[in-house]
Amino acid sequence: MLLSLLIFIPLLSALLIALLPESQAGRFRWIALGVTLVEVVLAGLLAAGFDTNRSDYQWLERADWITLPLGNLGVVSIDYLVGVDGMNLPLVILSAVVMLVGVVSSWQPVATDRPPRLKAYYALYLLLTGTVMGCFVALDFFLFFLFFEFMLLPMYFLIGLWGGPRREYASIKFFLYTLAGSLLILLVMIGLYLSAMDPVSTAVLAGFVSDVSEVTPEVVRIVQGHMQNGQLNSAQIVHTFDMRYLADGANYLPSAFLNPAAEPIVLGLPARMLAFWAIFIGFAIKLPIVPLHTWLPDAHVEAPTPVSVVLAGVLLKIGGYGFLRIAWSFFPDGAAQYAPILAGLGALSIVYGGLNALAQYDLKKMIAYTSVSHMGFVLLGIASLTAEGVNGAIYQMVSHGVLSAMLFLLTGVVYDRTHDRRIDSYRGLIEPMPRYAVLTAIAFFGSLGLPGFSGFVGELFTLMGSFQSIWLPGWITAVSVLGIGLAAAYFLWTMQRMFFGRFWSRHEPTTTDAHHILTDLTTREQLLLIPLALLSLVLGLYPNLIFNVTNSTVGQWILRFTVE
Amino acid sequence: MPVATPLLLLLLLPFAGALATSMASRRVAGGLAIGLTAIGLVTTGLLATNALAEPLTSQFDWATFGQTPFNLSFRLDSLGLLMLGLVHLVALLVQIYSLSYLHDEPRQPRYFAYLQLFVGAMLGIVLAGNLLVLYIFWELVGLASFLLIGFYTDRPSASKAAMKAFLMNRVGDMGFLFGIFLTYIWTGSLDLDLATAAGPLPAVAGLCLFMGCVGKSAQFPLLTWLPDAMEGPTPVSALLHAATMVAAGIFLLARIHPLLNPDALVVISLIGTITTLWGGYSALFQTDIKKVLAFSTVSQLGLMVAGMGTGNVGGAMFHLLTHAFFKAGLFLSAGAVIHAVHTQDMRQMGGLRRAMPVTFAVYAICTAALAGLPFFSGFLSKEALIGGAFGWAAQQGGLAGLIPVLLLLSSGLTALYMARQLRLVFFGDYRQSTVPLSAIHDADWLMRGPMLLLAGLSVFVWFSVNPFSAHHSWFWTIMPPTEEPTLIWLAPVSIGLVLLGGWLGFRLREPAHDKGYVLLSVEYGFLDTIYKYIVIDPLLKLAALLNRTDQRAVDGVVNGAGVGTVVLAHLMSLTDRFGVDGIVNGAAWLAGRTGQLLRSVQNGRVQSYITAAVVGLLLVLWWVL
Repeated sequence: MLLSLLIFIPLLSALLIALLPESQAGRFRWIALGVTLVEVVLAGLLAAGFDTNRSDYQWLERADWITLPLGNLGVVSIDYLVGVDGMNLPLVILSAVVMLVGVVSSWQPVATDRPPRLKAYYALYLLLTGTVMGCFVALDFFLFFLFFEFMLLPMYFLIGLWGGPRREYASIKFFLYTLAGSLLILLVMIGLYLSAMDPVSTAVLAGFVSDVSEVTPEVVRIVQGHMQNGQLNSAQIVHTFDMRYLADGANYLPSAFLNPAAEPIVLGLPARMLAFWAIFIGFAIKLPIVPLHTWLPDAHVEAPTPVSVVLAGVLLKIGGYGFLRIAWSFFPDGAAQYAPILAGLGALSIVYGGLNALAQYDLKKMIAYTSVSHMGFVLLGIASLTAEGVNGAIYQMVSHGVLSAMLFLLTGVVYDRTHDRRIDSYRGLIEPMPRYAVLTAIAFFGSLGLPGFSGFVGELFTLMGSFQSIWLPGWITAVSVLGIGLAAAYFLWTMQRMFFGRFWSRHEPTTTDAHHILTDLTTREQLLLIPLALLSLVLGLYPNLIFNVTNSTVGQWILRFTVE
Repeated sequence: MPVATPLLLLLLLPFAGALATSMASRRVAGGLAIGLTAIGLVTTGLLATNALAEPLTSQFDWATFGQTPFNLSFRLDSLGLLMLGLVHLVALLVQIYSLSYLHDEPRQPRYFAYLQLFVGAMLGIVLAGNLLVLYIFWELVGLASFLLIGFYTDRPSASKAAMKAFLMNRVGDMGFLFGIFLTYIWTGSLDLDLATAAGPLPAVAGLCLFMGCVGKSAQFPLLTWLPDAMEGPTPVSALLHAATMVAAGIFLLARIHPLLNPDALVVISLIGTITTLWGGYSALFQTDIKKVLAFSTVSQLGLMVAGMGTGNVGGAMFHLLTHAFFKAGLFLSAGAVIHAVHTQDMRQMGGLRRAMPVTFAVYAICTAALAGLPFFSGFLSKEALIGGAFGWAAQQGGLAGLIPVLLLLSSGLTALYMARQLRLVFFGDYRQSTVPLSAIHDADWLMRGPMLLLAGLSVFVWFSVNPFSAHHSWFWTIMPPTEEPTLIWLAPVSIGLVLLGGWLGFRLREPAHDKGYVLLSVEYGFLDTIYKYIVIDPLLKLAALLNRTDQRAVDGVVNGAGVGTVVLAHLMSLTDRFGVDGIVNGAAWLAGRTGQLLRSVQNGRVQSYITAAVVGLLLVLWWVL
C-alpha cells in the first residue's frame, strides 16, 4: 500500500492542482510542499519496515492489469507490480528528499518577464514526482517504461517553459535525446517479452496447479523444465514483463530470440549482445555516459534551479538504476563479456567530464560536467561486478544526489541575485557572503571526495571494486583515480577564483556601500543547504547506513555473473 | 573502563574542540583551544606512564560488504605514543604563542578551530590502525593545511598557495590510494599489522604508497608547495609545515616499512637524497626569512626519507623528533622577528642581535641544532642517520656509497645557509628605515616562553647523556636502532664540514641576484616553471580543446543528426508534393508528419512531435509483433 501511495498521492495532487481555479494560486506551493513532505514520511516508513537481511523484494504489491490471450502467441500479461529491495530503496528515499528540496527552492520563483504560471509549474512538478517514484519502484518492465516515458513530459515543459534564454533548444534536445534512448529500450523490452514466460501463471494456465497460491519453487522448476524441453505448447505460455522472471535465464523460451543458449546472430553480433548494447545506450543517455552526455550541460544551464536540482539529484540516477535492474540483470552475459569496455566508458566519463569541467566559465555548466564525471564512477562500480563496486555505485548515486542538489542550489544563490553565473564575474565573495562561502566550501570539498563526507565513500569503493574485479584490467582504475585529482583541481580553482582575494564583482565593484545585491544566504536558503550538508556528513561518517540496506540484495545480485 | 576509551577520547577531543572553538567568542577561543590541547597532552602523559605491554586497539564497523568489513580501526603503540606527545606538545606551544602573535586578528576563533581540526586529523594519522583510516585522516590533515595556509583569505597569494598545497598533495594521494588498493589485493588486508606481516610487496606497491609521502612531506618532485605554504600565519608554518604535518609522510614510511622491498627502498633513498640537496641548495640564496626555513625543512625531510630508504627507521624517526623541536623553535623566532620588523625580507633586517637578544639566543641554539653541532640534539640524530646510511651503503656496494656521502655534504650545506641567514638577520648593520631599530624589541612572554622551551629541547641532554653519541639514548627503546658500524671518523668529519659551511656562510658576500646559480637557487631549480609548461598549461589546453571538441564534434554530431533529419524530411515533403502528386499513400503521409515533427526542432512545437512519436512507436510495435 505504501508504494502505491508514494506514486499516486503526487499524481492525484497534480490533478487536483490542475483542477483548482487560478484564484487558489497561492495555495499550490503549499499543496506541493505537503505532498513532498508526505512522500518523505512514506519513504521513511518504507525504510523502517524494511528487513535488511533479505535480498528479495519487499513491500510487494501486485495487481493484474492487462491480460490478453493471443492464441499461438501465448498470453499477454502486464501487471501493476511494485516493490523495493536494497537497490531501489535508497534511491526512493533520496528522491523523496530531493523532491522536497526542489519544492522549497521553488518557493519564490526568480523574477522574469514571463508570467509565473504557478498552476502549471506545480502540477507538472508533482506529476514528475509521481512518475519518478513509479519508475524507481515498478517491477513490471512495461509499467517501468510507462513511468520512464511519462517522466519526460513534465521535465520537457519544466525546462522549456521556465528555463533560461535557450530553453527551447535545451528542452527539445533533452526530450529527443532521451526518447531516442527509450526507443532502444522499447525494442529490447518487446524482444524480452516475446522471449520469456511467467512460470507462475504458466503453471496455472498449463494446469500444473489449480491456483497461483499453490505454486512452489518446485513447481516453478518443473514448469521451466517442461518449457525448456518444448513440452508446453505456445498457447499455454504466459508471456510477461515481470522483471523478476525476466532476470532468470530459465524462463527464456528455447527457440526465443533472446534466449541465452540460442544466440542468433543479428548485424554481426549475437542478438542478446545487441540487445544489451541497445538497452545500455538507452540508460547511458540518461546517466549520462560520454559521448552521450551533451544534452546534460544544455539542460542544466537552461533549467531553473529547482529543476536542475531534481534533474541532477534524481533523474540521472534512473540511468544507473536501469543498468542495475534491467541491463545488467537481464543480460548478465553481456555485462560480463563487455565489462572492460563498460568500465572503460566509465573511466572515460570520469576523466573527460573532469577535464571539461576544468574548462568552463559558467559555474552551472561546470557543475553539470562534474555530474558527468561523478556518474562515471557509478558505471565503473557497476561494471566491476564486485560487491564493493556495486554497493559503492549505489552509494555514489545517493551521495551525488545530495551533493549535486547542494551544488545546484548554491549556483542558484548567485544567479538569483545577479542573473550572472560566470565564474570570472566574482572575486572574494567570502567578504560579503561568508555563510555562502562556507556552505560552498562544504559542498565542494564533499564533492571532491574529502573523507568525512559522502563523496569520498562512493569514490573509494567504486574504485576499490573496479581494481579488485577479476573482469577488469588494472589500468582502468589507474585512469579513474585521476578523476579525484581533477575534481580537486576544478573545485578548488573555482573556489579560489570566486571566493578568495579582495572582493570584486561585475555588478557591485566595491563593498563600500551597503550590499544591495550580493546579500548573504537567506533563512530559506540555509534551511535547504544545511540539512543537505549534514546528510552528506552523516552518510560519510557512517556509510553502513546505506550499505546495510544494499548489501544483501547486491550480494545476491552479483552471483549471476560467473566466469565462463 | 575499556582500554580503548582514552584513545577515542583523545581523538574526539580536538574535533569537538574545533566545533566549540569556532562558535566561541574571540576572548575565549584561544584559551579553550589551549586547554583542550593541554588535556590531550596530560592524557598522553598518563598513557605513557602505564607502559604499553602491547598496543591498545579499538575498531568500529564502518562499511560492510557481505563478509568483508572495512572497519575504522585505531591502535596505540609506543611509536604512536611518541608522536602523540610530540603533536600535543608542539601544538600547545604554538597555540600559546598564537595568542599573542594573532592578538589583533578578528577571526581568532576560526584560527583556533582550524588548529584544533589539524590536531585531531594529525592524531588520527598517528592512531590509525589500518591504511584506510590513515588515508582518511591524511586527507583531513590536507584540509586543515588548506584552511590554515589560506587563512588570510583576502590575499590572493595565500589562497593560491593553499590551493597549490592541496592539489600537489592530491597528486601524491592519488598514488597513495592506488598503493592502498595494491596492498589490499596483495595482502588481503588493510590492517597495518596484518598487511605488514605479509612482508615486502612488489616495488610498485611500495612506491605508490610512498607517493603519499612525496606529496605530504614535500619530496622531490612535489616539493614546491611547501615554500608557498609560508603564506600562512607563521605559527602555522611552525606547527604544520615544519614540525608535524610534513613529518606525517615520514611516519607513514615508518608504519609501512615492512612492505617496502629493497628496490623500492633504493628509489626512496635516492628521492630523499635528491630532495635534501635540492632543498639545501634552494635555501642558499633565498631572501625571505621563512623561505630559507621552508627549504631547510624540505632538505631535512629529504634526509629523513633517505634514512628510511637506507632501512634506518629508528634514525629517521629520531631525526623527526629532534627536528620538530628545533625547527618549530626557528619558525617561532622568525615569527618574533617578523612581528617586530614587519617584513620577511632579510635584506631589510640586520644587526638584530642587540635589539632582540632572547630571540637571537633561541635562533642561535636552534640553528646549531639544525646544523648538527655537538651538544645539540640535531647532532645526535644526524649521526644516527648518516652513520646508518654508511652501514647500508657498505652492504649494498657499488654506487650506493654515493648516497651517504651526499647526505654528509648536505649537512655542510645546512650550516652554510643557516649561517648566512644568521648573519643577514642578526649581524651587520640594520638596513631598514620604516621601522626604527629603537622600536624593535623581543616579543612578550606568551611568545618568548614557547620559543625558549623549544630552544631548551634542542639541547642534547633530553635525548642522550653522551653529547657525542646517541648510542645509549632512551629513544632506542621505542624504535630499535639499525646495526651500524662504529665510524670513528664520521663525527670529526661532519663537525669539520659544519664548521666549514658555517665559516663560509659568515664570510661570503652576497652575489649579484641575477647570476645564474643564484636564480637557480631562488627559483628552486625552476621546478614551478617546468610544471607550468609541462603540466598546468598543457592540462588547461587539453581541457579547453576537449571542451571545444565536446561542443563542436560530440554535440555537433547530435545537432547534425537533428538538422540532417529535418533536411531529409523537407526533401521527402517535396517528393510528396511533386513526385507522388495526388497519390496519398501511407508512406508519404508519414514523411509529411516526420517533416513537421522535425521542423518542430526549430520552432519548438512539440505537440506535432509527440503525435509523430506515438505513430512511430505504434509502427515499431506493429513491426515487431
